Amino acid sequence: MEFVWDNDQRTFRRTVRAFLAAHLPKEWETLAHGPATEWQSAFSKRFCAELAAVGLLVPHWPAQWGGRDADAWMAFILAEEMWAAGEPRGGQYMNVNWIGPTIMRFGTPEQQARYIPPMAQGMTLWCQGFSEPESGSDLASLRTRAERDGETYRITGQKIWTSYASEADTCFLLARTSPGRNGISVFLVPMTTPGITVRSIPSLIGEGDIHEVFFDSVEIPSDALLGAEGQAWDIAKTALSLERVGIPRFSFAIRALHRAVKTLQRLQRFGSGAMERAAQARAACEAARFYSYSIVDRRRHGLPIGAEASAARYATVLAERAVSEFVVEFVPEAMSGSDPSLLAHHQRAIVAGIASGAAEIQLNIIASDLLGLPREPR
Amino acid sequence: MDFNLSGDQEALASAVDKIAGAFAAKPTEFHDFALTGGALERELEDGDYFNIATVPEWGPIGAVMAVDRLARCPYAVETALSMLVRPHLPNDAPRPVTLVEHGRPGRFVAGAKTVLVIDGDNIGIVYPSGGDTQRVESIFAYPMGRLVDTVTVEPLSISEAAVVRQWLQVAIAAEISGLIQAAIASTVEHISQRKQFGRPLGSFQALRHRMAECAVLAGGVKWLALKAADSAAPADAALAAYHAQDSAVRIAYECHQMLAAMGMTLEHPLHLWTYRLKALVSELGGRSAQAVSVAAGCFNGGMDTD
Repeated sequence: MEFVWDNDQRTFRRTVRAFLAAHLPKEWETLAHGPATEWQSAFSKRFCAELAAVGLLVPHWPAQWGGRDADAWMAFILAEEMWAAGEPRGGQYMNVNWIGPTIMRFGTPEQQARYIPPMAQGMTLWCQGFSEPESGSDLASLRTRAERDGETYRITGQKIWTSYASEADTCFLLARTSPGRNGISVFLVPMTTPGITVRSIPSLIGEGDIHEVFFDSVEIPSDALLGAEGQAWDIAKTALSLERVGIPRFSFAIRALHRAVKTLQRLQRFGSGAMERAAQARAACEAARFYSYSIVDRRRHGLPIGAEASAARYATVLAERAVSEFVVEFVPEAMSGSDPSLLAHHQRAIVAGIASGAAEIQLNIIASDLLGLPREPR
Repeated sequence: MDFNLSGDQEALASAVDKIAGAFAAKPTEFHDFALTGGALERELEDGDYFNIATVPEWGPIGAVMAVDRLARCPYAVETALSMLVRPHLPNDAPRPVTLVEHGRPGRFVAGAKTVLVIDGDNIGIVYPSGGDTQRVESIFAYPMGRLVDTVTVEPLSISEAAVVRQWLQVAIAAEISGLIQAAIASTVEHISQRKQFGRPLGSFQALRHRMAECAVLAGGVKWLALKAADSAAPADAALAAYHAQDSAVRIAYECHQMLAAMGMTLEHPLHLWTYRLKALVSELGGRSAQAVSVAAGCFNGGMDTD
């Protein structure tokens, strides 16, 4: 057991930092860059294409798909540095983390050829059509229907709280093809398909982040089905397991915390009360960091990953909460325009326990699978 | 970065686990606070386990693993300071090694061969002989004692004191790590068996979530203690101690709340871990002092993730 980076890992981190220093706009730290604004999405396409050009967009993907088979540590170091910089890849981080790898695993050769190269080139944005007005944590209850009619499916229903939908090219959509938990299927749906309406929902997270998406008898070819009919549960579990530890939110939190402390020190407001809360937040970030590393390490060694991933995710939620509450309490002026970077962090941090699955679901998994507590009767 | 145990570390973990396993149960007739483990201590002495950290194949990480595992026993043995702090003391200091802060009673002081004395920013050292220490009755589940006022304290230099304080932080974090795991395990066992409203208490989501949060905190405490042992960096030791003491406060409360009246009895072993935790949360000045230490280590320079 050792906690030091090897030379290749240090060099790789330096390479990523140098890239960020050279390619982020000079005013990056002062831009109010909400994660899904039109500006951010356009910037991300340019930025991700530049990343791809130097082999830094999908280094952990197989060479066959534009990667170079880098190990799980390299992928995570890359993600840490991107999140520490406020995630300039915008919504494309989802392509890199789980949409691409999921299509590699479950897609047909035609689907792979159509969708993976644009992701590897940083040219495309996806959204995730999971939640519905009546189906959030209870995803298996979703109602959006996909009815087979010869060589097509007709999709009818509604998704909600969908990030990036207004700028996305394609939707990774869950829809019901038959009743019951095993009656849900995944469809890869171009967002320009007639019958899709996207409506932005004003949100705390920032301009253009979450949406309602309406599917009004949307006709798609049958080859838009990913995997087999009814296989969505397996596919979604794979996708979510990649997503849960693919987002090193703690690195953005650490950056924000240090930025806030520096402000307080400069203004001579870093007294004992602030100091204790900052220490608590910093320790929470560090716990989240090493929890996450332990999952990456397991992945690197090919070991099974179970409820530990939920524990790592929850540790990250605690860290994000500690930092965002620290900033609100001790640097409140950041919420009123004094520091757009701290505001951007805050707006991302408040969804840490909500996006990609409610934190309470993680607690249920931890209680049952890590602690072995008896399950709640249903 | 590689969290796989080496072959030597695996062997150590297995050997310590075997020893600890033989001392896993509280004697049924014991209904008191400080359950001391003379037989366990002799086994550790005989196997030279108190020098783990000085063996290159094991090092401080091996010592943290051992302290963590042994702290899960219901028996209280002075392991943490011997294994993690003693290698940094002058004159091949004899064990048991203990700590006295500001003249207050300390753990294991009555039988100590080396006592570290903290007074403000200063740390001194005492090698007590007969009559220099007194046993003290306490609700804490350690044998508590105090130094008599007349002992002579040899001061450590500022640099020596800084190193000793850093490893005291690691030692406390490692011991808390084991104690909170044992407290959680004991609580999980109880709420998995005790039924109310026709079902196990542990099947109620309100309780499940709180215990799950405790489990997450416990994992973080362990990782930070291991990291601090490996890096030997002051900032890591401060973070480990802060997170350990902060988590200990929460977890001790939650475990007692889950056990309710059963946890108030001295028949149930929970207090053997929680009232050790309560002793540890005040050491080295408690959370507020660790916060100052974290600020000095983390917020006065860079923020690299090395």
